Amino acid sequence: MSGQAFRSLPPNDASWHLEAYLARGGYEAARRAVTSMAPADVVAEIRKAGLRGRGGAGFPAGLKWSFVPQDRPGPRYLCANADEGEPGTFKDRAILVRDPHRLLEGMIIAAFAVGIGTAVVYVRGEYERIAGRLCDAVAEAQAAGFLGRGICGTAFGLDVIVHFGAGAYICGEETALLESVEGRRGQPRLKPPFPAVVGLFGAPTVINNVETLASVPEIIGRGADWFTRLGQPKDCGTRLFSVSGAVRRPGLYELPTGTPLRTIIEEHAGGPPDGVGIKAVIPGGLSAPLLRADELETPMDFDSLAKVCSMIGSAGIIVIGDRTPILDVLAVTARFYAHESCGQCTPCRIGTSWIHKTVTRIAAGRGRSSDLDLILELAGGMKGRTLCPMGDAAALPLYAMVAKFRDELERAVGR
Amino acid sequence: MSEVKTVALTIDGRSVRAVEGTNVLRAAAAAGIDIPHFCYHPAFEAEGSCRMCLVEIEGLPKLELACATVVREGLIVRTATDLVRDARRAVLAFLLAEHPLDCPICDQAGECKLQDYYDAHGRFPGRFVEPREKRDKLIAIGRGLILDRERCILCTRCVRYLRRITGTGELGVFERGVRAEIGTYEDARVDNDYSGNLVDICPVGAITDTDFRFKTRTWFLERRPSVCPHCARGCAVIVESVTGYPLGPGERRVFRIRAGENPAVNGHWICDLGRAGRRDIDEGRLTAVTARAATGGTVPWQKAVADLAARIRAVPGPERPARIAVVLNSLMTCQELALARRIFTEALGLGGVFIADPPPGSGDGFLLTAERVPNARGVLEAGFAPRLPDLEALARSTEVLIVFGPYLAGNFPAGTAAPALSPIAVKYLFTSRAVPDDGLADVAVPVAVPAERSGTYINVDGLRQTFRQSVAPPRGVPSEREVLVGLAHGLGLNVGEPDAG
Repeated sequence: MSGQAFRSLPPNDASWHLEAYLARGGYEAARRAVTSMAPADVVAEIRKAGLRGRGGAGFPAGLKWSFVPQDRPGPRYLCANADEGEPGTFKDRAILVRDPHRLLEGMIIAAFAVGIGTAVVYVRGEYERIAGRLCDAVAEAQAAGFLGRGICGTAFGLDVIVHFGAGAYICGEETALLESVEGRRGQPRLKPPFPAVVGLFGAPTVINNVETLASVPEIIGRGADWFTRLGQPKDCGTRLFSVSGAVRRPGLYELPTGTPLRTIIEEHAGGPPDGVGIKAVIPGGLSAPLLRADELETPMDFDSLAKVCSMIGSAGIIVIGDRTPILDVLAVTARFYAHESCGQCTPCRIGTSWIHKTVTRIAAGRGRSSDLDLILELAGGMKGRTLCPMGDAAALPLYAMVAKFRDELERAVGR
Repeated sequence: MSEVKTVALTIDGRSVRAVEGTNVLRAAAAAGIDIPHFCYHPAFEAEGSCRMCLVEIEGLPKLELACATVVREGLIVRTATDLVRDARRAVLAFLLAEHPLDCPICDQAGECKLQDYYDAHGRFPGRFVEPREKRDKLIAIGRGLILDRERCILCTRCVRYLRRITGTGELGVFERGVRAEIGTYEDARVDNDYSGNLVDICPVGAITDTDFRFKTRTWFLERRPSVCPHCARGCAVIVESVTGYPLGPGERRVFRIRAGENPAVNGHWICDLGRAGRRDIDEGRLTAVTARAATGGTVPWQKAVADLAARIRAVPGPERPARIAVVLNSLMTCQELALARRIFTEALGLGGVFIADPPPGSGDGFLLTAERVPNARGVLEAGFAPRLPDLEALARSTEVLIVFGPYLAGNFPAGTAAPALSPIAVKYLFTSRAVPDDGLADVAVPVAVPAERSGTYINVDGLRQTFRQSVAPPRGVPSEREVLVGLAHGLGLNVGEPDAG
């Protein structure tokens, strides 16, 4: 049995069509922005709303838009990042399936604000089966005059291209995404330059997560002040929390930022099944360092999680029950990052593999007493030293697992 | 000329001025501070993937890439802190974990960045106890190049070189993570005329050349700069010859010719033709004077030159212009050509001074020129007209013919030159190549190849490049300069050169 609680998503599966979207006020915000607002005012409104990126890094969306140089000739691009690869995260999927027009409306507003005529939705290859609705929604919006030339009778136009990845976690990293769209091997670019200046095909490019873009229409429709009253002062609004693992009602819960982790797990997801206790919780997708059971009061917002050396990331909450050996969690995590490292830079390519091999050996009963320190050291050799954020994404959770559950792992190594 | 803008920065407490726009790695190198690196190569943009060049930059929370950080006024860089040392050790530990310990049989040993950096920045006990990835070690990727994927550290210099410099793109990265590997697409092998540079830029022993594999050890090699004589470009080359052990008969002296660096001419690259020129130094050489009417025993070159001088002296002065002819070539240095001018044109007053060169090929639009000689402009500067003789006219009047270089016959239809010149009584050939006894020469005297000489060439763009001898000629083989000086002395001419004998 799975649970759900949405504020913004339509309640049932049949209401994704344009007709239903229009009936609930869809495309009104885009119409208002395009016909009666100046692009700079749209950017200002999003900045004022304090909308932080929902993909993982939490970068303020309006600030990102404002980095795009407006004084250079040539095209600019928008990429909607629908490469939802972070383990434990399934929120963008829900938007793509239940409310694809809200994403498109957010893209129209973002494109108008930044002066963009072409946008790409980069959909992870694993979502190809569910992306039919997105493609249909694009066609519907096009036919209704919300996409294409002369949107809402203005001179503004936007074309949306749906592009599929081939199933690489790394392509969720924004510059690897750009490489993939350009038809090359999906691996990150060296930054700077940042995509806002040199992005897709060398042109200034805005890359926003699906949920981030889908949050934009309401902010423009209801105003930044309404949005800031939801959630926390520095991390406003609501978020879609994906809850999985040892809970009675795994599912998707849309709640204000700052909702305590325990509230989400206990009240919304129903807590762990009978006879199971909580050993640990991964709060923001696998890359977020896990929290112990005594850290569950942490409010789920950007700054509060940073204080406990973790991150809200993609808000994918994975609850680990007390019957699950932490070594298993470590093994799964190590395998994932070793499998998904693109191999471009040394510390990530070999660090993830080395840790995976070490953990595999421990799991096979051939652990050595020095292994845990070695894992910590290898993670340290990756942390902050890789070409893209994936080094940290791999190192930090592995480090936390060993550091926080040292005693249990010592027993596993010594058995 | 526009003023080069510089900025002032501090590296390891030292004030350094660096050209605006350069990176910290190069600014440090210019100040004598070596920042270790694998993937960075000055011919390419920063790649930033090896992570070996991480340094501390004041004000920034994390270590930054020296290769990708552009210098700016007031930048404070630290390259020798504990944090930087730790990062280098970590990168070395990662690379060495999956790298075979086959230095004893690796051709790169002795000039391997991984080996050198481990020596300078590593020196830790290995702690990798897991099974190493098994990869292919003997992959012929084309043009005599062998790829060893276990040694590869995935710096992608080779991939970037083929994409950005030759534009041929034969290599790519396949698979991902620790399985990532360099390879060719389908079965399309590396096939371009600049493929040898891949060996030069590979920082480890992942790409080796069959011409060098297992032939010697790098620490036996003496590396000396020279100028490539195989076309008019005049690329900088490094001639690498053995000095570390005595050579047996027929053994190679020069094991490799590699690209030298000259931003004004060839950047970092040379063509495969120039690289293959190492064969001209050791193979097919004429090493002793050969005479058709040999009377037993070898004649030293000095004796042959003295004999030639006597032959010349035997021709009465007024008849010399008509009865003596000389053929020079455009591989001769400016100094040799100047000597030739003083002896043959000014002193002997010869009218018949000709130039015979190897035939032109086709240029490739990059470095290789259609002209396949290094000093055609030097020939003009010395005042010689680049013209070939009319063989029959030459044979009618000439008593003594002096030819430098084995190129004369090649400029005429096959088999015609020797019969045409047969009436000439005295024919001396000075050549580095062993030549067939085809009647073109009565006496063949060995001379040095360009790498064995010192001198100046003027390249296709008019650039004068002076080079020094990069390898000694075989015992008893003179340079053309020595031959000309010897000849001048034999003729009683003062050419302002010490006696070569």
